[in-house]
Amino acid sequence: MLIPTIPETKPIKLSVRDMAFSYGQKKILDGLSMDIHAERVTAIIGPSGCGKSTFLKCFNRIHEVAADVDVSGDIQIDGVDIYRGGIDVVDLRRRVGMVFQKPNPFPKSIYENVAFGPRLFGVQDRATLDGIVEDALRKAALWDEVKDRLKESASGMSGGQQQRLCIARALAVNPEVLLMDEPCSALDPIATSKIEDLITELKESLTIVIVTHNMQQAARVSDYTAFFWLGRLVEMDLTERIFTTPKVQMTEDYITGRFG
Amino acid sequence: MPEAPEVSIAAASEGGYPVLKEDLSPAGAGVPTFKHSRLQRLADRWAHLGFLICSLLVVGLIGGILYFLATRGLAAFLPLAGNTGRALSFSEVFLSADWAPSSDRFGILPFIAGSLGVTGLALLIAAPAGILTGVFIAKMAPAWMRNLMRQVMDLLVGIPSVVYGIFGLTVVLPLVSRTWLADAPASGFAVSALILAVMIVPTIVSLSTDAFESLPAALDEGAQALGSSRWQAIWRVLIPAARPRLLTATVLGLGRAIGEAMAVQMVIGNNPQWMALMRESTDRAPFLRALFTPAATLTTELVQELPNTAAGSTWNNVLFAMGLLLYLLTMVLILATRRLGRGKEA
Repeated sequence: MLIPTIPETKPIKLSVRDMAFSYGQKKILDGLSMDIHAERVTAIIGPSGCGKSTFLKCFNRIHEVAADVDVSGDIQIDGVDIYRGGIDVVDLRRRVGMVFQKPNPFPKSIYENVAFGPRLFGVQDRATLDGIVEDALRKAALWDEVKDRLKESASGMSGGQQQRLCIARALAVNPEVLLMDEPCSALDPIATSKIEDLITELKESLTIVIVTHNMQQAARVSDYTAFFWLGRLVEMDLTERIFTTPKVQMTEDYITGRFG
Repeated sequence: MPEAPEVSIAAASEGGYPVLKEDLSPAGAGVPTFKHSRLQRLADRWAHLGFLICSLLVVGLIGGILYFLATRGLAAFLPLAGNTGRALSFSEVFLSADWAPSSDRFGILPFIAGSLGVTGLALLIAAPAGILTGVFIAKMAPAWMRNLMRQVMDLLVGIPSVVYGIFGLTVVLPLVSRTWLADAPASGFAVSALILAVMIVPTIVSLSTDAFESLPAALDEGAQALGSSRWQAIWRVLIPAARPRLLTATVLGLGRAIGEAMAVQMVIGNNPQWMALMRESTDRAPFLRALFTPAATLTTELVQELPNTAAGSTWNNVLFAMGLLLYLLTMVLILATRRLGRGKEA
């Protein structure tokens, strides 16, 4: 197993040790270990079906929505095991936000979408909510576009706006980690570049893990890149090293398009 | 990253894409032309005519029923030819609770109130139960149970209403009659509404299961990723998202309930004077008493009395007016369903 040993000033936010994931009889992930540093963007790449998205979902335990799932090994956030460390799953999901492949705004107003999380956690005061909503929309670089139509339905927005709304919705509960599962796969190049700019801004205060099929995107936005193949971590290193001097031949073959 | 695209293009041209080298079509062979034979074209024309006649027949039938109901029903209010009865005013029919055809008094308010009351009560039971069962089947039940329950619901939709009526008459009524709630027999709104609710629940369950299953899974995941509990995700996101289709499900159940005659007639007690009875009652809990007072609805009264009246008499005409009212009510409900269904796409 290759875990990069390079000078890193940021602390380890998420650490995975010897993790395996199976769905029914089928093993999806096996023998995974890696460290993810705070305030860095870590990209997960690999061919379809290699377990990237599943891996991402282990960090907020959202896979528990489906039954018949078995996770073994350790996943820690700030040194506390998220499966056995006595962490409440609701609190975990507040700390670890998620943005999905397709924008999935709720069929509510723009305001109510962003206020959804804070309301769940009991914020009721109107002025406080207003503040949270504006702050989250500003962080998601959406405020100027929607400030005059907060009461309108989110379904009237463009795909790129909807995805930034979903990011704002996740930011509204003040998470420490943001998981992004191919956040740009349904977006056009302009909307994609806006999201990428946003990722770069957000990493100032967040730990970001992004699954992507787009090599250029991984190269542009991430500090670290991990290459998965058939449920195993093949190689993880600084992004520039993965894309220039990968240690494993298979990594090079994948990023240069020889397979996958 | 300049190398990456270069290599991938090279890989593609080296054999990534299959190239068709040979022309596979036989040399010299002309493109075959397909032409229908005369016989086929003739058959086509006849088939076209057949389809047209069938659809005209259906449209004509529906229009004919409306025309028949309207002429006979409106005859109650208009001095038409062939009308042996007297022409009534709208108010003495629709606003009067006094139904005594033998004394020439034709107030149908008890039946309108009866229909609305029974249907409303049935919906009050069936809509929440049906929608929550839909949530359970679509979002919580394990796969084997989901399949089983879907099939059971589809089966229940097809059971003839008279079977529900028999069940009400022979099982529910005797059971309720034994409680403190009612003097025997316990026929009336409560039991009728219960039987109707049982009858329409499968329809509402089926349609709301569809509604919840058609919601993107991402909506559910999105809500839970923000920290919603199972119940919060259902209550705050899934039910609001499915609302237009849930309304459609409820309205369709309503349509089935309001038009039902057989099952209701068997358990409601068929008492056209129930409103007068209520007015004279000195009961301290009039609402509770009303639930267990034998009553009547538009449909039950039609079934009861239509065979006993002479065509063209005022009595007969008023019964047709009640039929027309039911027809129009159902029509409005169907149009409302369409409107609600369209609202979902907007």
